[in-house]
Amino acid sequence: MTALRVPARPDSGDASPQPIPWRRMAGVTWRQHRIALGGVAVLLGALAVWLWRMGVPLHQAYAAAVACHPAASAACQDLVVGFSSSADGHFMGSKGPGGVLLQVLPALIGAFAGAPVLARELETGTFRFAWTQGFVRWRWALAKLVLLAVVLAVATAAFGALVAWYFQPYGGASPQVPGLFENSPFGDLFSLREVTFPAWTVAAFAIAALAGMLIRRVVPAIVATLTVCAGLAFATAGLLREHYLTPLVTTAVSLPGASTAWVIGQWSTLNGRFAYAGDPPLNLVNQYCGSSSGAKSGPPGAVFTQCLAPHGYVQWASYQPASRLWPFQWIEGGWLLALSALLIAVTVLLVQRRAA
Amino acid sequence: MTALTTPSRPDSEDDADPRPLPWRRMAGVTWRQHRIALAGVAVLLGALAVWLWIQGTSVHHAWDAATACHPAFSPACQDAATAFNSTWDLMSIPAILLQVVPALIGAFAGAPVLARELETGTFRFAWTQGFDRWRWALAKLAALAVVLAAAGVAFGALVSWCYQPFSAAGNQDPAVYGNTPFAVVFSLREVTFPAWTLAAFATGALAGMLIRRVVPAIVASLAVYAGLAIAAAGLLREHYLTPLVTSSPNVPGTAWLLGQSWTKDGRFAFAGNPPASLLNQFCSFTQSPGGKGGGPGGGPSSSVNPFAQCLAPHGYTMWTSYQPASRFWPFQWIEGGWLLALSALLIAATIWLVRRRAA
Repeated sequence: MTALRVPARPDSGDASPQPIPWRRMAGVTWRQHRIALGGVAVLLGALAVWLWRMGVPLHQAYAAAVACHPAASAACQDLVVGFSSSADGHFMGSKGPGGVLLQVLPALIGAFAGAPVLARELETGTFRFAWTQGFVRWRWALAKLVLLAVVLAVATAAFGALVAWYFQPYGGASPQVPGLFENSPFGDLFSLREVTFPAWTVAAFAIAALAGMLIRRVVPAIVATLTVCAGLAFATAGLLREHYLTPLVTTAVSLPGASTAWVIGQWSTLNGRFAYAGDPPLNLVNQYCGSSSGAKSGPPGAVFTQCLAPHGYVQWASYQPASRLWPFQWIEGGWLLALSALLIAVTVLLVQRRAA
Repeated sequence: MTALTTPSRPDSEDDADPRPLPWRRMAGVTWRQHRIALAGVAVLLGALAVWLWIQGTSVHHAWDAATACHPAFSPACQDAATAFNSTWDLMSIPAILLQVVPALIGAFAGAPVLARELETGTFRFAWTQGFDRWRWALAKLAALAVVLAAAGVAFGALVSWCYQPFSAAGNQDPAVYGNTPFAVVFSLREVTFPAWTLAAFATGALAGMLIRRVVPAIVASLAVYAGLAIAAAGLLREHYLTPLVTSSPNVPGTAWLLGQSWTKDGRFAFAGNPPASLLNQFCSFTQSPGGKGGGPGGGPSSSVNPFAQCLAPHGYTMWTSYQPASRFWPFQWIEGGWLLALSALLIAATIWLVRRRAA
């Protein structure tokens, strides 16, 4: 009987052998996903070089226009015109489609990097090998997902910083220099900055990993991820974002920081009671503003407000000031990261529960 | 010995070359293999079409109200024009985002056609059937291309209808949009939408044949498509026909302005907008050069250049090169034509590769 006893190692309860250390998974993850990571690096790198090459002359023109001293002089006006025309025209300019098209990047990166992590193993059957190694399979899934998510988040945070830098001159109006852009920081680019770009990418990645675990085929999982991301992005931009913090309400005709604020809604009151929302109805305009043939000289709301004010109408506007950019960034980044963590947890739970 | 001769069928003289299966048999095979992809395309385009239909109805209502309104400068009509112009706020971002739809459809439908068979090994079965393998590839690619093109034409027609008011020429009300049809969804119309979809589909098929894996082939065709679309919009499109050049300051607001240059006494003076030093010298008004960022396509367009009026008495002549809006359909057919030729070439190359590849 003694011959059958194997000499026990000092630390081994045989039923639960010491697990393989986590850091061993780094090499496995790298070898399995280096092509995907290389693709992300090439894509972001090419876009970064392009943004950098367009951004440097833009920033130089902007700095020259701002630094020019008597701002009303002809030379300074030339600099402002030069900056505006160079900033306006091209593909990534304020009238170009580039800023909107960049919105698809987080969804594409997340979907193509996240869906194959589990779906490819399940589709080709290699999960039978991978899940029977010494590294327990839920730890295997968790290690791969967390590593890839961290790498993607770091890369996209750097890219988001570059995007924020590039578009700085478009929101950089200064009161001394007339004629510069002053776009609201809550515009199209809100979701492409340092905080929100990695948050959206990681959310798309987590959605893709879960879709891959549920659907078990790579291409349908990618398609499902793109669909869910599109729905989530539209819902966030259209419905959710304006409610992150309670909007401020003012009766001032011109808002403080007029065009950098994000105007949520406008309505008017008469003698303290609600009168109408948005622009005034036609009969009021015809009654009180009949002779205002100069209605095109300004934004129509302001003109109507001026001619209706003597008759007791007060216009209210609710808005988010530009100073709330960073709280909004962290709120959006926070809930997206929480959502991502939840989705990754669900994925790992499904991996653990699935009958091999 | 006579027992070994098999009775020959009346029509088969040479057994080495049996009569090939009829082409139409491939329709069923193609449908069964790609019905999920086709259903996905149908769901995507259908959902977008419903949304476009709802939005387009309200855009057309606002447009009708703005144009039917009679004394065009009355406050009521200004209000109607403002209401119509504000619909652009909602429609401008979809106009850009819709550009990715042809790429996604083409890549996801085209890349798996060959790559999935090659990746999973089922090509060994498919290519050894009675149907020759190059005919098998040609039949599948052509059938899918025709279906995608038909769906693309229908969807492009809907996009055209939905965005038509924003570039409607000849309206009398100066306050509503008169954008050039070249700027608003040019590549999403009846001709160009199916053409771009087919180009992406053919790129995906060829990439799948070359790379032999589905997901990398999708990524490659998306990358190629992005490069092609940016090159076409940024460099190629304005050269389809030689632009017209005029010295009249009255260029129609629906024309596509390509560039402005100024001459003084017959010699080149400067390009683009006049320098402010010149304006301060000759023009009395104060201009505000930088606008706030508007949507693509800009706001209501003013057709008369104010600089030209005040600089003209001092000997400066403004030359504008532009593409008139009447060239819209020639441009559509030129773009559609070269994209179709490119697609046919790519599909031919794919089939040639299928035929040459050692099984």
